[in-house]
Amino acid sequence: MSLALRKTTDIVAATKWILRRGCLNLSTLPEKSEVLEQSGNEVKRRSGRKPVNPILKCRHVYPEFLPDPNPKWRNSLREKLERMDMLKRRNQIEIPEFYVGSILAVTISDPHAQSKTNRFVGICIERKGSGLRAEFTLRNVVDHQGVEIRYDLYDPTIHQIQVLRLEKRLDDKLFYLRDALPEYSTFPFDMDPEILPEGTPVPINPVQVKLKPRPWLERWERQELKGISNIEEHLKEKDRVRRELRKKPWEKYDLMLQYRKTIPIEEQNDIWSEVYNQLHQLQVSQKKISRKRTYSTPKTQLG
Amino acid sequence: MTTSNLKLLCSNFCKLRLDNMVTRSNSYYKPRYRPPHWYMPKDRVMTDDMVTQENKQFIEEVMKDKLKMQTEMKSPLVEGDVQQTVQWSPFIKRTGLIARKIGNYPVWDKSGKKLQTTLLQVVDNHVIKYIPPEEYKPMRNSTQSGIRTQRHGCLLIGSQTIDPSTVTKDYCGIFDSVGMLPKQHLCRFLISPEAALPTGTPLFATHFRVGDYIDIRAKTIDRGFQGVIKRWGFKGMPASHGVTKTHRRPGNIGGGGEKGRVWPGTKMPGHMGNRWRILRGVKILRINTKYNVIWALGVAIPGETGAMCYLYDTVLPLKKLKTAPPFPTHPPMSDLPLEYYDESIHPFDDSTITLDDA
Repeated sequence: MSLALRKTTDIVAATKWILRRGCLNLSTLPEKSEVLEQSGNEVKRRSGRKPVNPILKCRHVYPEFLPDPNPKWRNSLREKLERMDMLKRRNQIEIPEFYVGSILAVTISDPHAQSKTNRFVGICIERKGSGLRAEFTLRNVVDHQGVEIRYDLYDPTIHQIQVLRLEKRLDDKLFYLRDALPEYSTFPFDMDPEILPEGTPVPINPVQVKLKPRPWLERWERQELKGISNIEEHLKEKDRVRRELRKKPWEKYDLMLQYRKTIPIEEQNDIWSEVYNQLHQLQVSQKKISRKRTYSTPKTQLG
Repeated sequence: MTTSNLKLLCSNFCKLRLDNMVTRSNSYYKPRYRPPHWYMPKDRVMTDDMVTQENKQFIEEVMKDKLKMQTEMKSPLVEGDVQQTVQWSPFIKRTGLIARKIGNYPVWDKSGKKLQTTLLQVVDNHVIKYIPPEEYKPMRNSTQSGIRTQRHGCLLIGSQTIDPSTVTKDYCGIFDSVGMLPKQHLCRFLISPEAALPTGTPLFATHFRVGDYIDIRAKTIDRGFQGVIKRWGFKGMPASHGVTKTHRRPGNIGGGGEKGRVWPGTKMPGHMGNRWRILRGVKILRINTKYNVIWALGVAIPGETGAMCYLYDTVLPLKKLKTAPPFPTHPPMSDLPLEYYDESIHPFDDSTITLDDA
C-alpha cells in the first residue's frame, strides 16, 4: 500500500514539475549548463590537471561551512568549533538544500503570536554570512504590502525550514524584486511543496521580471542583472552614458580579486573532509525520514 | 583631665616620625625606569649561526625531548605535595590567565535571544615564578601613594611555547630553572600570598567558572595616525554649500584673549589605538575544556583577532565573586565534561526552543 502511495505521489510530483516547466516556458538552460560543465570537466581531464575532489561540490549545497576569506578574521580553532556547533544544530533540525530564488516556508517560535509559532512563506532573495552567522532573507507580498524577513540559519527558535520549490534564478541576489511589480514576489501561504524526482539537477528559472517606473531603491542598470526584462524602457540617455562610464570590465580578469574572495582548494579539502561524513550521514537519515512521511499535506485555511 | 590630655599629647608626639622629610633641590627628580629584576631582554639579533645539518638535527631532538618532558610533567597540585589549607575569602586576589582572542560568533539564550560572544583561547599557561611580597619591590610612579597598604606577591605566568633558538640566552634562563622551554608571552599577576602557586603549575580555562565576571586587559587595535573624525567622532563639515578644503578638519580649537592658547586635553588628530585598555565585568557564557576556550559576552574586548589579552577576576563590587571559585586554581582532571554552559545559554545540541503560554 505504502509502495503504491509513494509511486503515485512520485508520478504526481514529476507531472507537476513538468507542467510547471511547461507553463513557465522554460528554456533548456539547466541542461545546457550541465552539458557545459561536463564538457569543461572533460577538457580539464584531457589537459592533465588534477581531478577535482568530488566532495568539493558541497560548497554549493553548504556554502556557510566555508569561513570568511578575510585573513584578519581567520582562526583555525574558531572555525573548527563553529563547524562543530553547526553540525550539532543540524542534528536537531533538517536544514535543507536551497538557493537564492527558492521558495521556502519557515516556522519559527514567536512570543507575540497567538499560537507561539509563526509560519512565513516567501522567496529567498539573499543568502549570506558564514558559520553560525549565516542568514537568509525571505520576501513575499502580503495584503499588497511587501514583507521581508531575515532569518538566521542556525537560530534555535526555528522549528522547520521547508523548501516548497527548489530552483535557482538568473542572479545571485534578487533585491530588484523590491522595485518589480508585486506579482513577481507574491506567493500563496498554502503552497504545496513540489518534489523534484531524485537525481535531477536544480532547475534554473529564467523568468525576467518587469520593473516599476522610477524612483528605484538602487541603480539596477549598473549591476548587469540578467533577471530584468524592461530596464531599457526606464533609462534616459544620461543613465546609459554613466553605465558605460562605471563599467569595470577588467574585474573578471583580476585573479587576485577572485583569490581574496575565495577559500583555496587545499583548505576547502581539509574542511570538507572534516565535515563530509557527518553531513552525508545526516542527509541519508533525513531522506529515510522524508520517505516514511506521507506526502498528503493538509491545506491550512488562512484568514 | 589635664594629665590625660598631656598623656595623649605625649603619645602622639612619640608617634611622630622623621622618615618622610621633604628635601628641596634645584634639579628635577625624574623617576628612572627600573625594570623588574626578573626581566631579561627577549629579542635576539637573528644571525646565520653556521650550524651544520647534524647539529641542527641534534638541536631539534633536544627540543623534542624537552617538549616531551614538559608535557609529561605532572601538575604539582595533583601530586599532592602542596596542601592547601587556606580557604578562599572575598579579600583574596587570585591569579589571572593569558589568553588569545580568536574571534566572535553568536550563541542563543534560552528565550531565543541572540548574543554575540568573543572566543578566548587559553594557550598553554604555566606558572614560571613566584616572588613573595617581601622581595617584590616594583618601580613606583608618581601617581601611587608612598605607603603600600596591601602587600601583594608577584606571579609570573608564561604562555605559548616557542623555539629557544629564537630568543636570548638570558630569557631562556628564566624558564630553564623551572625545566621548561621559553614562552612567547610572560606576564606578571599581583596576587595575595595565600593564592600563590608552585612553579610549573599548568593553568586552564577552568580557572574561571561559567557565569563569573572577568576583567580583560589588552591592547586596542593600532589604527595609526588618525584624523579627528575617526579618533574623536567629530562631525566634520558639510560636503557642499560653499565649504572648501575643510571637510574633515576639526575647525576651531579655542578662544582668544586671556585663553589665547591651545588648552591641554584639546581633542586633536594623532595616534589612535595600541593602548592598554581594561574591559571590566565581562560575563563568561561557555567554557570548552578540551580546547581551553572561554566564550565571553560581547564584542568590545580590545584588540584584533589573534591578540593576547589578560584575564582577571573582576573588581566591580556588584559583580565580584560571591561563592568560592577553584582556589588557588583548578587542578588538571581527565573526567571533566567537554563543555560548560551558563544556565541562560541554549546549547546547540539541545532541541528547538518552544515558547509555552505562561
